[in-house]
Amino acid sequence: MNRNEIRIAGAGGQGVVTAGRILAEAAILSGSHATHSQVYGPQSRGGASRSDVVIATGPIGFPLADDIDLLIVLSAEAYTRYQPELSPDGRLIVDGRCAPASLAGTARQFAVVDTSRAISGSQLVTGVVALGVLQAVADVVEDEALRTAVAARVPAKHRDMNLKALEAGAHLVRETSP
Amino acid sequence: MTETRLPEIPLAQAQLIQGNEACVKGALAAGCRFYGGYPITPSSEIAEHMVRLLPNIGGVFVQMEDEIASLASVVGASLGGMKSMTATSGPGFSLMQEHIGFAAMTEVPCVIVNVMRGGPSTGLPTSPSQGDVMQARWGTHGDHPIIVLAPSSVGEVFHVTVKAFNLAERFRTPVIVLYDEIIGHTRESVVLPATVDVIDREQPHDDPDDFWPMVAPPDGTPPLPAFGDGYRFHVTGLAHDERGFPTNDAQVAEALVARLHRKIEAHLDEIVEVDTYMLDDADIAIFAYGIVGRSAREAVERARDAGIKVGLIRPVTLWPFPAREVAAVASRVDTILVAEMNLGQLIGEVERAVAGNAEVLGYLKADGEPITPTTLLEEILHAEKVRQ
Amino acid sequence: MTDVKSYLREWAMPHVLCPGCAHGIVLRSFLTAVDQLQLDQDKIAMVAGIGCSSRLAGYVDFCTLHGTHGRAPAFATGLKLARPDLNVVVVTGDGDALAIGGNHLIHAARRNIDITVLLLNNSIYGMTGGQAAPTTPEGAIASTTPAGNTEPNFDACKLLIGAGASFVARVLAANPMDMTKVMADGLNHPGFSFIEVISDCPEYFGRYNKVGGGAEMLTWMSVRDEGVSGPLSDKRFVNHIPSSAPPPGLATGVLHNELRPVFSGVRKVGRS
Repeated sequence: MNRNEIRIAGAGGQGVVTAGRILAEAAILSGSHATHSQVYGPQSRGGASRSDVVIATGPIGFPLADDIDLLIVLSAEAYTRYQPELSPDGRLIVDGRCAPASLAGTARQFAVVDTSRAISGSQLVTGVVALGVLQAVADVVEDEALRTAVAARVPAKHRDMNLKALEAGAHLVRETSP
Repeated sequence: MTETRLPEIPLAQAQLIQGNEACVKGALAAGCRFYGGYPITPSSEIAEHMVRLLPNIGGVFVQMEDEIASLASVVGASLGGMKSMTATSGPGFSLMQEHIGFAAMTEVPCVIVNVMRGGPSTGLPTSPSQGDVMQARWGTHGDHPIIVLAPSSVGEVFHVTVKAFNLAERFRTPVIVLYDEIIGHTRESVVLPATVDVIDREQPHDDPDDFWPMVAPPDGTPPLPAFGDGYRFHVTGLAHDERGFPTNDAQVAEALVARLHRKIEAHLDEIVEVDTYMLDDADIAIFAYGIVGRSAREAVERARDAGIKVGLIRPVTLWPFPAREVAAVASRVDTILVAEMNLGQLIGEVERAVAGNAEVLGYLKADGEPITPTTLLEEILHAEKVRQ
Repeated sequence: MTDVKSYLREWAMPHVLCPGCAHGIVLRSFLTAVDQLQLDQDKIAMVAGIGCSSRLAGYVDFCTLHGTHGRAPAFATGLKLARPDLNVVVVTGDGDALAIGGNHLIHAARRNIDITVLLLNNSIYGMTGGQAAPTTPEGAIASTTPAGNTEPNFDACKLLIGAGASFVARVLAANPMDMTKVMADGLNHPGFSFIEVISDCPEYFGRYNKVGGGAEMLTWMSVRDEGVSGPLSDKRFVNHIPSSAPPPGLATGVLHNELRPVFSGVRKVGRS
């Protein structure tokens, strides 16, 4: 059975939790099994926020992330906190603004937050831009399923903006790819 | 009487839902129409889903002043003929003990969900734990029977909640659904059934003037009419006779308490549910329940890959304790490794059931962190080394 | 005079109450009110807590729930929400309702759920053997206040008006006709109705405080009602007024009556 553990980590207000739910829902639409977990309590009110998604071809055993394959980090605090939990052979994606100078060469950088600002005027769609990046980098779910899941989860009045954010994320990857 | 019903809120679709939401869907499918509760992490989503769904299908939601009142309201509504439930976590579960005992003594069907968090006291509100397993059995005073069910996934929360209502109605008893913060909060993809089998409490056939509410065979459950439906009867938490009236007669009191126990113990086949995995040729059996059962299944697979003959016994019914099933496993394996997120609660019951027929080892943890497949695998490797 | 026997479980007699206890008079007044209103016997549920007054539920031929100590309003709330067709009546005592059950009582009042609470106040714990209650006046002797109570007491009616009860009355066990009328009004009231009945406990309160038996205690409460000096005027504990001052009159009758929305559970969420 193929099991993929993905963590989207960032700050409150970036839509990190919603992005994780969308990814898990897209996985279901793609015919996979999925779980989604988030942080509760005082940790969830401001500061670093995270959303974990496990996607597998069969029924999922342990439902939480135990060995993260893919980590996308959208704030400096989240980088400090969650980067150590990445699997030694896991892939790391970091927002360009919060990448430290010491960032390993294998990590990839994209202007996720800036793209959100350009589209929404705020960090509101950061999580959805991140989904576009993730999908373009790792191809974790079906493209159409991801679009459908985004459209179904976000408020109707923000649907077009979010679909644009998703496409913009994918574009960030395509334009930097060799 | 069991009846296959189409739930008023359709279920059959793959969806990503939390354990707490699956609990609500299961309860409503089973016919729950009353929820009385008090907010507490990590169970509050159950109330938040209930309040949105119940009023649309003729049900009633009330937020009570505390957990004592919550379960009292549930008992009152159940006597009014509505299938009723509440949900809470450790600190609230402590307050509910009074009425768990009352419901057991008065034989009022009800379901209590306890989404366990780290304890003791207010403990770790957003961390998982299995620290309330003994409290669920013995938290209220006096000798009483209880049924406690422990699902290990979001999908199983649905089925177990349906079963909890069915057993509560069938045996006129409080049934406790015990799971932890991880199962409560994690969203999982589930496909729920289109129909569910539902049991309703038995109704009397006597003439109301001749009705004695507590008449039943020595291992039986009396019928329960609703208040206001023409049968006028007394319900009391005091020891009572077949007319439901208080008594100090030792023989009558003894017969009552004996029947309360026998109505459960004589029907274990309907109540006890145990899941097993790869036990056929196993040298080592892991005993795990709830969320740890999930880690254990994965750890078993990884250990098998490493050539270790290990299997899993996962009770869904924690109480009455599946002693017969554990004893059967003990006769076939060398070692039983008990993994639970507490400092040793069901391991004592396992030792009692094993009765020296296998070595019992414990992997016990109460720090608010889950037992993961990785750490459990290390314990299996250790158990294998000890065995050889 | 109304024959109330058809409302009694005669097979459950003899009852547990002591000679001189006024609770039986209170019950008779209540059953008379039920009879006068011609309420459907099958549709009355009496919910009780723990204590002498709560034991009355066992002797009436309604649907009866003898619950846990202080929790009767919470049981009654669930029952009434599930069965709006029932007349739900809570019978409780001063220790039951005002000490261990104080929280449930005030919240039931706040919600204005349509139940009737009869609080039989005998100023002491009778069932457990004469311990001090939140209604025991300052200075009074109880088995747990052998040198006289040093705590102030609750005024149950003021408490309930403050909590939001929409019908609040106080009646005396010494005046059965008044009791019946006020109880009928309470049963008819849509919303939470609270009736404090000043009852007695000759066995403990009367004996410990040397104020006589049942007859004397009923006389005493009538005299207090009229606000004149009576047999207890020399007792320091009367409403914690020093012995030199005259005892105040005890306000009786319907003290508060308003109509406000009745709670029947959370409403449907409207479509936005």
